[in-house]
Amino acid sequence: MSMNTAKLSRLKPGQFVIYACLAFFVCFYGIPLLWLGIASTRSQQSLLTESPFALGSLSTFLQTWTNISSYNDFKLMSWVWNSVIYSVGGVGLSLVAAIPAGYVLGVYNFPGRKLILVLTLIAMITPSSAMVLPIFLEMNLIGLNNSYLGLILATGFFPFGVYLAYIYYATSMPRAILESAQIDGCSRIGLFFHIALPLAKPIVALIAFFSFLANWSNYFLALVLLSDDRLYSLPVGLTSLISSSGALNSGMAGNTIPIKLPEAIMASIFITLPVMLIFLISQRFVRSGTLAGAEKG
Amino acid sequence: MMSQPVLLDRDKMKRAHRRREIFASYLFIAPYLVLLLMFGVFPVCYALGLSFTDAIEGGFYGLNNYASAIQDFRVPRAARNVGGYVVIWVLLTIVGVTVVTLMLDAINKRAANVLRTVFFLPGAVTSSAVVVLWLFLLDPTVSPFQGLYHLFGWENRINVLSGVGFAGVFAVMAFFAHSGGWIVVLSGAVAGLPGEVIEAARIDGANRWQLATRIKVPMLWRTIVLMGILAVASGLQIFVEPQLMSLVGPSAAQPDWSINQLAYQYAFAVGDFGVSAALSTVVLAISITIALLLIFCTKFYHTN
Repeated sequence: MSMNTAKLSRLKPGQFVIYACLAFFVCFYGIPLLWLGIASTRSQQSLLTESPFALGSLSTFLQTWTNISSYNDFKLMSWVWNSVIYSVGGVGLSLVAAIPAGYVLGVYNFPGRKLILVLTLIAMITPSSAMVLPIFLEMNLIGLNNSYLGLILATGFFPFGVYLAYIYYATSMPRAILESAQIDGCSRIGLFFHIALPLAKPIVALIAFFSFLANWSNYFLALVLLSDDRLYSLPVGLTSLISSSGALNSGMAGNTIPIKLPEAIMASIFITLPVMLIFLISQRFVRSGTLAGAEKG
Repeated sequence: MMSQPVLLDRDKMKRAHRRREIFASYLFIAPYLVLLLMFGVFPVCYALGLSFTDAIEGGFYGLNNYASAIQDFRVPRAARNVGGYVVIWVLLTIVGVTVVTLMLDAINKRAANVLRTVFFLPGAVTSSAVVVLWLFLLDPTVSPFQGLYHLFGWENRINVLSGVGFAGVFAVMAFFAHSGGWIVVLSGAVAGLPGEVIEAARIDGANRWQLATRIKVPMLWRTIVLMGILAVASGLQIFVEPQLMSLVGPSAAQPDWSINQLAYQYAFAVGDFGVSAALSTVVLAISITIALLLIFCTKFYHTN
């Protein structure tokens, strides 16, 4: 009894520190997101003068939406579509390239395999932003900058996806199946389509998840490769919208363009929402440690 | 006498079979190989070559591009900025992620799962959107953190930026967006720790603090070091955060804060691809060195 109370009183300060610390982090991560959601319902006036968590109204929200959709022929929507095209193209290409490559690298031995693996690892660890200007210089040389194809090709190169597929096939492709299939005279191509590809479902989801995140949020490469504003992706479009309207620049408050603070907030939500939905949908598999194994390698 | 030709035949068949296998392997890997050459190997070689070329007049230029990069007074300043940022960002990541992960491990599992999701969600606010969000959060007139700023006597965004310092502000932005993913990764590593060791330590009378600092952290050390190294590699590339400071007007704009921004400026504002390539080559060389060290000097990545 006395030992129990002693234990409790000894633990209490520690526990208090833990809860206080976690509460601080909940505020740090949570308050900005909460504020972002609420702010899209508020007017410019309310944002500047009322308390930060004052609620707006549906009519203000709709007015903001009208302002965005009528500005420049709803250019924002064309940027959304561009982003969808770039992302779907990039994800598709990275899957088409990564799955067979990972299969061959993980299951077979052939001359040059080790070199390809080392290059893949180097490319995977090197942050993609380090490659942006070299890729721009190359695209400038071959004339693929400022095109859908150029950006899709560049983002289709996804070494992390190849690494994931390689680890997956190297560790979870049953050797016995491979050997018996080979003895039965099943060719490598047949083996891939009959056994490896159907086995690949979880890894396809994982690669698509990471590739989509990388593509949807790609800013630096898109900024550098795309100069025509009709080709902008959403993240580049957002900044061009804000800088041309001066929405965040209090020195330019006098202009008449209807893109102000609420519109900038709503445009940011356009970028954020799809990713957040994907996070919430894939929560289980993200938490299940698949991610842990993946990033740890 | 009779068996010889048969053997030769079999040998030949074997070799032919092997050749077919190699061909099939390359057939499978061909799409990826093309992309690897086009967007991995070639750009690196091309930038390296361009850095030794006079991009305006043409012809071999020796080390002149590197010399003019070093003579640009903004380059050493940008290097110092990036260095300071990397130190803050890496310390923040290592300490913050480790502390939060261990604390989540010490509380009720269900609550920990909910909190991990909350911490992970800001990762959805990416690239330019996270900077735009933080430009609001840093403005004492609209920010939900305005109470905090008023405590320090900061009345406008410039006060906040100069009070915290640009390197600190950029580190907080990056931590906000990226730490949640690492918390999930490190939590996965914690879940994989051998339960019997921790149970034994607990029976021996280790309290939570001792359990965390003497048992768990040493066992998680490898993952924490990997996280730190990858944070250094990505931190050196900082571009978006300082670049978008100009959105709030010229008084906060930082067009030449980082090395990557200068490389970008040389290509786009000056039109001198040679100096741009020289700066990119230096940045790339550091990144590739880090990658090579990780691959060949540690056991983090296996190539077999």
